[in-house]
Amino acid sequence: MAAAVSAEEAGSILILNSNMSTEKYALAQTEFKSRLEKRSNLAEVNLGEKEIDEAGIEKIIREKNPELIYCIGSKAYMMSNKLAKEKKTVFSSAINWRRLPMGRNTYGVSNELPAGMVLMTYRYFFPGLKKIGVLYNQNYNAEWLKNAEKDAKDVGIEIIAESVKNSNRLDSALEELLPKVDVLWLISDPVVLSGPESTLNILQKSDSMKKPVFAYNEIFSSYGALLVIDADIPTMVEQASMMALDLLSNKKIAERVPSPAGSHIILNMKKVEEYGIELNKEAIGSVNKIIK
Amino acid sequence: MKIIMHFKQKMLIRFKKLCPSVPLCLRAFSFAPLCLILAFCLFAFAPLLLPLPVKAQPKHTIYFFNPETNINNFASLKIEFDTYLSKLGEYQLQPFNDRDIFEKSISGKKDGILLVSSWHYKNLKEKFPLKAVLVGVFNGKSTQKRVLSARKDTGNPGFFKGMNVASAGNKEYTMNILKEILGGQGEDALSAIQIMSVPKDIDALMAVGFGMATAALTSENSLLNLEKINPKQRQQLKQLGKSGEMFLAIVAAPADAEPENRPLLEALAKMGGAPEGESKLRMLGLEGFRALSASETEALKK
Repeated sequence: MAAAVSAEEAGSILILNSNMSTEKYALAQTEFKSRLEKRSNLAEVNLGEKEIDEAGIEKIIREKNPELIYCIGSKAYMMSNKLAKEKKTVFSSAINWRRLPMGRNTYGVSNELPAGMVLMTYRYFFPGLKKIGVLYNQNYNAEWLKNAEKDAKDVGIEIIAESVKNSNRLDSALEELLPKVDVLWLISDPVVLSGPESTLNILQKSDSMKKPVFAYNEIFSSYGALLVIDADIPTMVEQASMMALDLLSNKKIAERVPSPAGSHIILNMKKVEEYGIELNKEAIGSVNKIIK
Repeated sequence: MKIIMHFKQKMLIRFKKLCPSVPLCLRAFSFAPLCLILAFCLFAFAPLLLPLPVKAQPKHTIYFFNPETNINNFASLKIEFDTYLSKLGEYQLQPFNDRDIFEKSISGKKDGILLVSSWHYKNLKEKFPLKAVLVGVFNGKSTQKRVLSARKDTGNPGFFKGMNVASAGNKEYTMNILKEILGGQGEDALSAIQIMSVPKDIDALMAVGFGMATAALTSENSLLNLEKINPKQRQQLKQLGKSGEMFLAIVAAPADAEPENRPLLEALAKMGGAPEGESKLRMLGLEGFRALSASETEALKK
């Protein structure tokens, strides 16, 4: 005999969080709740809890029978896709969403800022840094690089790229690239950043040659990156919550997975002074965190 | 005299019980040994008896709230301002990100001044007795206009309805400016507009450029920045409307406590003239502050 399924409550949302003990995921949940709590019936599940397993989540989904599931992080999305594929689903904070299976009712906000947006921000902060070096692997980032090179031209930046076939070739690629560029842009590439050692190696070699580093995650700022530009979580959640409300009202969604519309910027002033780089003073008003 | 002698004897007995090894010669000094020990104890344990030294709390505060930006840089802002201001006096910056909490916090306070947007000041002066003293300056100007921009290829007769506007201002502020700009479009069009909060003006413009929003409400100056950074993207934008001139940030003091706060007001007024101070003001999108003229003060009363 099939288990009883409760009637789908209009406007009800289940928040599936990959792990509440991850600061970014917890922030996303708090932001989402603050935007929707008054307008929707919300239930929450934290996949990071030891007591909860797949059967338990399935039971919750069956009992709550939400109209929409909001997934924070890839783990939550994969679980939702497995257990409730047909539900309206919105995700955010899922790294590289393109590798995720997409259902008919799946929507979300990308976790990665468009390269063009990042390049514009670089140009805004450091108008004098015009040759940007990129280490990449053909299999993972060839397409991304092609688009970034096009966007770079619009902002008067030249991207000089060096392909890294495997992690053993990292040192030689770095030695080849660094003398030709004003700054190194670290991108999310599993071959280039294959582990903490290779990451530290890149940052140390760049520093020894007085070449600043631009990066995409806060962690790099503590290792001496000059500028870190990441997607702004409250903005991504704002986009996700607007999308969820539109879906609940059966409105047409213009784009299935838009890019984040806001950036979170960390500027390392120690490095600005150490390298003697020209900084556009006006841009300081756009910084979220200054490292001194 | 008899009573005093009796008291001395009693204390000596107690002391002998506590310190049986005290030499007799000391006992001969009658009360002297007890006084010595007590003096030693007081000296040795004084730090335990006295309250621990407490860092002095700043006496004057700059209460800061700005609905024109969503940028969450309060931790850096506070550290930078407090470091600078503490060299000039017992001053601190207290930023707020919630209007209600800000207004509750300043109610009845005389130990500081307010740093607010001119739009918010006009609202606040109806609730609290305030006197506007300084105005923020950027590029030599104390005013700005807000511009509503959209991509040139998106305009059609029903365009405003359902428009998704990216704005660095909070929703209340943004809707207020949109009403001013799009008043002629009618209530229906206004109520159907979706506002998407982004951290800063340049994000709002990029959100239009990269297709995350249909329009952006930003300062004129940020459009000039876009022109410098990415002229191609700037050329793709058209102006849908513009607000009237609005003052930049206003510094106001409680009307009955301006003299007490005068030193802090003067410190703020001089901030733009010092390179270190100017760099902190850049975090607020300002270059300095100057005194409001009589005509500007009048304009703020309207």
